[in-house]
Amino acid sequence: MKLIISNVSGVPIYEQIKQQVKAAILSGELKEDEALPSLRTLAKDLKISVLTVTRAYTELEQEGFVKNVQGRGCFVMDRGSELMREQLICKVENGLTDAIKAARIANLPSEELHRLLDILLEANTDD
Amino acid sequence: MSNTLKVTKLDFSLVKPYIKVIGFTMLLPIAFAAINRSILTGVSFAMCFIAMTTGYTFSVTEKNSMERLYGILPIKKSEMVTGRYLFVLALGAIALVVSLITQPIVLRAMGERVGAFDMISAAIGGLFLFALYTVFQIPGYYKYGAIKGRVFMYIPVAGFLATLFFLPKMPADNPIVTTVVSSPVLLIGLVLVLVVVMYAVSIWFSIRIMENKEM
Amino acid sequence: MTNYLEVKNLSKSFDSFQLHNISFTLPKGYIMGLIGPNGSGKTTTIKLILNMLGRNGGEIKIMGLDNIADEQKAKAELGVVFDTNYFSDDWQVTQVEKSISVFYPNWKSERFAEMLRKFHIAPTKKVKELSKGMQMKLMLACAFSYDAKLLILDEPTSGLDPVSRDELLQILSEYIEDGEHSVLFSTHITGDLERAADYITYISYGELFFSGSKDEFVDLFRIVKGGTEELSADLKEKAVGVRTFPTGFEALVKTEDTVAFSSLSIEPATIDEIVVFTSKKGDDYE
Repeated sequence: MKLIISNVSGVPIYEQIKQQVKAAILSGELKEDEALPSLRTLAKDLKISVLTVTRAYTELEQEGFVKNVQGRGCFVMDRGSELMREQLICKVENGLTDAIKAARIANLPSEELHRLLDILLEANTDD
Repeated sequence: MSNTLKVTKLDFSLVKPYIKVIGFTMLLPIAFAAINRSILTGVSFAMCFIAMTTGYTFSVTEKNSMERLYGILPIKKSEMVTGRYLFVLALGAIALVVSLITQPIVLRAMGERVGAFDMISAAIGGLFLFALYTVFQIPGYYKYGAIKGRVFMYIPVAGFLATLFFLPKMPADNPIVTTVVSSPVLLIGLVLVLVVVMYAVSIWFSIRIMENKEM
Repeated sequence: MTNYLEVKNLSKSFDSFQLHNISFTLPKGYIMGLIGPNGSGKTTTIKLILNMLGRNGGEIKIMGLDNIADEQKAKAELGVVFDTNYFSDDWQVTQVEKSISVFYPNWKSERFAEMLRKFHIAPTKKVKELSKGMQMKLMLACAFSYDAKLLILDEPTSGLDPVSRDELLQILSEYIEDGEHSVLFSTHITGDLERAADYITYISYGELFFSGSKDEFVDLFRIVKGGTEELSADLKEKAVGVRTFPTGFEALVKTEDTVAFSSLSIEPATIDEIVVFTSKKGDDYE
């Protein structure tokens, strides 16, 4: 997983970590039950405070993205969890909304749009 | 190894860069012994000079602000002080042994006779002078530091001159002096007791100074 | 949670300076930055912890041990780095080990050799031939060789170039990675701390201003910026410190007070800004 901390973005470092972990979970880069980097190692590698990483991980846990197993580390919750599903559905809706908007601009009839979706679905079943 | 001995070892490593000067200081008095054709003079000079070099530990410590090192080492202040005294005594003992070996060789080569009595009285005299110089010098260094306390470095010189000045004026016919001088055992015993008492008082003062000192 | 350092109501009086009721706690496994302008009492606090100065009041515990009653035991667990080295200039690096190692029962010679390799310190060099950064690393190498549990650094970054400063932060974060070591670190160059420190203790003019997590500290204040005419009396009243210049102003305001000024530009404050503005306020009082 890639984690990049920006010093100039004005976004607090713990928030940056949270966003990037969430993005990695949503993108599937971090899989179910996969461990997040060890808290202290991550702090060392990014040269940031241990407490900052602790805060990021604790908030991720509170929001239901990861679970903390005492003494073993933080693990990604299974993707079927309600929260993750909601977030994913939301992502789908956003994507579709964008597609609809683009289709309107292009004067694409809705049947055509449905057909396009079917073709794309077909093409993506392989993986 | 006890902490005191560790401090003594540390002191030896402090004066290591001065090892040549110290060696020269130990050997130079051979010349004085030869000029005066007396081992007593030679040893007295040797002990006076070596007492002056014991200040090196203080000046090296001060030059490098090493009070901070002493401040973080896991040792008691009393151990720092006793370790320093042990170092001073060890240095004195080495100088005494070196003088008692080298000086008779040179004197005998010059045709002088150096008997056992001369050797013992030189040893006792040297030990006493060394103690006299250092017991004032060390608390002075602890109190005023190596730079301000530099004046204490000259206590041995002043003491030596005073000894040279007063020694001939001592009433030789004083019954106590005669008794003591005529009985070497009594003399040795008396000097040793005196030396021990002097160091005990001096160490006590130095520890008090160190414990009240803020670094 | 075990505390590696506990300072309670620490006080010390000098003729011209007083340290008042300083209290803070450093838990095991974290880095604490001790900050404040020069002369605010950082070094005094550290010297009191080391019992190099006698305190007038309060209590200090190092890994649960009283710093005076159990001084030797506590110091055996303690590594200290000062802004300049405390070895004899004429010692070779090997002599440093010979002289110091005997005092620490836990000293591991292999560890010292490993540290010298890691820090690129030649064992045959004399202390005075080492650069300032190297001398600092030599002090660290010693502390690591007896596995000091608590590392105290007094102004370690002053006089260091940015590369050495960065290396130091790297070394410190590695040191606490296993969660068994803690660091207390005094500095007036707060940029160093901005990222690595977990806790901040801020001493200003001998008084404790703040002690707690760094994020909490930074979150206490905001920087409010605006044009000269926007600097209202209310804002002046609420600001901890204000800096005005011909084209506008910058003010440090408590976060809870910023609601009233939401029309102005509000930015997070850096540690430096907090220290600068709060110490200026201190000046006004004198």
